[in-house]
Amino acid sequence: MSDRRRNLFVLLTVVGLLAASIAVIFTKETKLGLDLQGGVQLVFQGKPTKQQPEVTPEGLDRALDIMRERVDTLGVAEPELQRSGSDQIDVSLPGVADPERAANIVGTTAQLYFYDWEPNILDEDCKTNPDSVNGGQQAISGLFNAVQRASKCPPEVDGNNTTQGSQFYAFDKTSNAPLNDGIPSESEQDLRESLEKADIGNFKILEVPEGVIVVRAPDEREGDQRDRGEVDQWWVLKDNPVLNGNEIKNPEQNFENGAGGAPIVTMEFTDQGRKAFAETTREIAQRGADNAALNGGLQNPIAASHHFAIRLDNELISTPYINFRENPDGIDGSQGAQISGGFTLQSAQDLARLLKIGALPLRLELISRSQVSATLGQQALDQGLKAGLAGFLIVAIFLLVFYRVLGVIAVVALAIYALYLFALIKLIPITMTLPGIAGLILTIGVAADANIVVFERVKEEIRHGRSISAGIAQGYKKGFATIVDANIVTLLVAFILFILATAGVKGFAFVLGVGTIVSLFTAVLATQAILLSMRGSRVLQRPSALGAGKQRKPITFDFMGWSKWFFSTSGVILLVCALAIGGKGLNFGIDFESGTRITAALENPATVEQVRDAVGPAGFADAKIQTVKNPELGNNVVQISAEQSGKTQEVTDALDNTFGIAGDPEVSEIGPTFGQSVANSALVAIIASLLVISIYITLRFEWKFAVPVLIALAHDILITAGIYALVGREVTTSTVAALLTILGFSLYDTIIVFDRIRENVPRMPSAAFSQIYNRSMSEVVVRSLATSFCTVLPVLALFFFGGETLQDFAFALIIGTLSGAYSSIFIAGPVLVHWKERDPVYRSRYRRIKEQLGYVPAYAVAASGAPVDVEPERKRRATASITAPQDPTQVSREDFDDMVANLGIDEGGSAKRPTTAAGAGSGRPTGGRRARARAAGGGGGAGSGGAGETGSGGTAGEGGQPPAGDADKPKKPRNRRHGRPR
Amino acid sequence: MAALVWVMMGIAIWHFTIFVPDRFWGGIVGAFLGAVTGAMLLGLIINGFTIPGQNDTDLVSALEAIPGALLGIAAVYFYGVSQGNEPLDA
Repeated sequence: MSDRRRNLFVLLTVVGLLAASIAVIFTKETKLGLDLQGGVQLVFQGKPTKQQPEVTPEGLDRALDIMRERVDTLGVAEPELQRSGSDQIDVSLPGVADPERAANIVGTTAQLYFYDWEPNILDEDCKTNPDSVNGGQQAISGLFNAVQRASKCPPEVDGNNTTQGSQFYAFDKTSNAPLNDGIPSESEQDLRESLEKADIGNFKILEVPEGVIVVRAPDEREGDQRDRGEVDQWWVLKDNPVLNGNEIKNPEQNFENGAGGAPIVTMEFTDQGRKAFAETTREIAQRGADNAALNGGLQNPIAASHHFAIRLDNELISTPYINFRENPDGIDGSQGAQISGGFTLQSAQDLARLLKIGALPLRLELISRSQVSATLGQQALDQGLKAGLAGFLIVAIFLLVFYRVLGVIAVVALAIYALYLFALIKLIPITMTLPGIAGLILTIGVAADANIVVFERVKEEIRHGRSISAGIAQGYKKGFATIVDANIVTLLVAFILFILATAGVKGFAFVLGVGTIVSLFTAVLATQAILLSMRGSRVLQRPSALGAGKQRKPITFDFMGWSKWFFSTSGVILLVCALAIGGKGLNFGIDFESGTRITAALENPATVEQVRDAVGPAGFADAKIQTVKNPELGNNVVQISAEQSGKTQEVTDALDNTFGIAGDPEVSEIGPTFGQSVANSALVAIIASLLVISIYITLRFEWKFAVPVLIALAHDILITAGIYALVGREVTTSTVAALLTILGFSLYDTIIVFDRIRENVPRMPSAAFSQIYNRSMSEVVVRSLATSFCTVLPVLALFFFGGETLQDFAFALIIGTLSGAYSSIFIAGPVLVHWKERDPVYRSRYRRIKEQLGYVPAYAVAASGAPVDVEPERKRRATASITAPQDPTQVSREDFDDMVANLGIDEGGSAKRPTTAAGAGSGRPTGGRRARARAAGGGGGAGSGGAGETGSGGTAGEGGQPPAGDADKPKKPRNRRHGRPR
Repeated sequence: MAALVWVMMGIAIWHFTIFVPDRFWGGIVGAFLGAVTGAMLLGLIINGFTIPGQNDTDLVSALEAIPGALLGIAAVYFYGVSQGNEPLDA
């Protein structure tokens, strides 16, 4: 396919996709995440059960299916349930206002068991008394007393137990108050770790052996009394159920004695269940009759009747008696059974639904709960869009000012990119979250970075004497490899983030990944097609229109010479950062530390002390309470942060009753396990990213290039962490995502530099490695700084216009990007130079240059008059075809000079050649064998060309003058060996 | 948390090895490994082979790493000398 046809095809594809994108944008809805529309997010951690001894992906999937059915009963539009990590399930329920009920319905295991009551009640000596009603016992007051009694009993392990191994309960050592919400753990170590993580040091753990269970007594209170929290009465039972939830069918909510009666739950039995039920109730009736006879024939059968117990998870729903007079042979179960446990209509409906859908195969522990108010969600969306628009505009202005005509094309490409990405977000669909918006804004910088790399290369080619058309073709060709290298690293980091990060950050990672791929298409293919289509136009006739006019002043900065001072500066900064982290510590947010944060707009104004008094009874007297300015939310906004969790409902109730709450409060409740898993996944993500980056750099460059990269990345991450400690900013999951993104972005600059070093190594066969580095840096420092600047611009927009969460991202990214630019130039490069100069080949070059000149100049000089800068071998093959080019415009000045030199024609011209080549700014005054032989042989021509043939000539790009300082240095006698390719 | 501080301190001190003639075993990267390993090891030894957590990390934890890093760098340097490493300018 000819170039023209290819360009036409690409342009048509771009236009076609553009039309499709616009159609998608106008016809499809954007799926907004919870943080942008309000709702409840729950994170559950799967725990093994007797039925499912291990938490497996299959078990989690089965649990997910059941949970989806349960969520459907809540009537939630567009809920999202997904597996997260190896043992977690994320549930997003938009628009749900009652997080407590949602959590109960979705996460309750709903394992139903039936017990023969009296033979299973254990007394203080762990004995049963099956002949007495209620085993002659009363419910035990307080969980601690019940667990203490149970802990003294011996284990009774059999296949009928509902638990696996012992159950461990934690209590406050002083007050005996239950910790961890009174929920038992199956691992003492896990329980201990989670308590230590939550900074609870004063605790004791009691072990209840397998075969013994502690269950909450049925709630038999009436009406309003039920609102006073859960009953604190407990029973200690032998864990020996006669039936379980798998043996019932068709559970339904009904009313006792027809409509108007109390709500109940009715059910039928399977054949096997019916037999077990009939047999058990017959035994119960028999015991009741015997009991009545023993007590002299009690007139009231209820007083003598024995019971049947129905347990749902760790609570007794009810303990109905079996009237031995009415049912002397028990109940055959053919008519089913009913549970009448003092239900409200809703709780009876919920239980019937739960039983109908079935029990979860795993026990789910709620480890994080957040509730976002719709008002705050809308506010966050507005802020995100504003930040996105501002980011786009300032990047566009930068490109226009810096690259003129090329800038216009880049801005067009950016606009196309934004439309494509937005259409893809709607089409896939990607749930847009606040971190996702951050990813979107950030990819604007990525897309612009790709343009910068290519445009700088195009300018360089044109300055080297190529025609505009050939410069564009070569610029894209050479810049493409760099862009692919840099973008693949970003893509890999985004992938690792997506796999390992929490739900919120996943959105960010996904958008970053998709955006990076789309940007490759728009920033490289589309802009190239546009540019090449315009090559004959008047707009592209002058190099200055592309910003490729004569370079005003060559960059001759001695990067290596100064590196030791920049190195020391980094050392001092890191020293201060280490002391700051040691002295002040990092301010970890509740994502890591666990705890509760409630933000509520009060209807009536209240002081901090009044709020403290109101929430004190709920255990929040020591909470951090502050007033927050947020006119969108209301006038009296307070934020309450505390280390404990599990009492949010009581706190919001207290606030509502005392001051009134306007709208829905924003609630985040994080358990210690969640914080730990977030920290662990962050650590794994960082290690995995570093590993993947190392492997990629090793494959694309060589392993010695990978080590400086790792050191520079460590430098960036540690400095960012140190700055966080210095300013005391809160470290959240967003910060971790930003840190991981820094890994990708910091590498962008480093890859640009390393790519040029790799390119220059074969071109400078006599130069010391420090000279190769200086030359490479002088060639790419502008684009390296420009890409960093271009990334920082949208990030600054995020910081100034984004909301609280986006500012978290932006702050870390600003520090990381700046540090990344710095470390690419002054850490990664110099480390590579120091290390490579130990290689025998570079060591000998260094010594030879020093021997000849007495010192090693910052930039390569040809003491022998021979070229320090040669065309690499692969280029020679390319020049062979230039003898008959298909398109004469594809031959640059230097290619032409090469050809002349190779042919050895025009002696006079040859003498002038080096100056001409350097004057063209090629920096590659290559010569053929004969030309080199002439140059090596000395003579007047070489004398004049000596300066012109220096690497500085290539660097300076004009006049063939060496960098300042170099030209004035005394030249040593020329050495024939110097300049020979090695 | 202390481990992070020790590593940071080790890396911070490593930056100043740029002023030392490069006779390190493994060059500047060897010095890097020496600094980080030394800082970590001495930190562990001082704290009885435990890593203090967030609440137990203080300024002293950071300072504990300095002698370790210096010792690590010195060890790598003298090992390099014993292996006959010559500085580039020699």
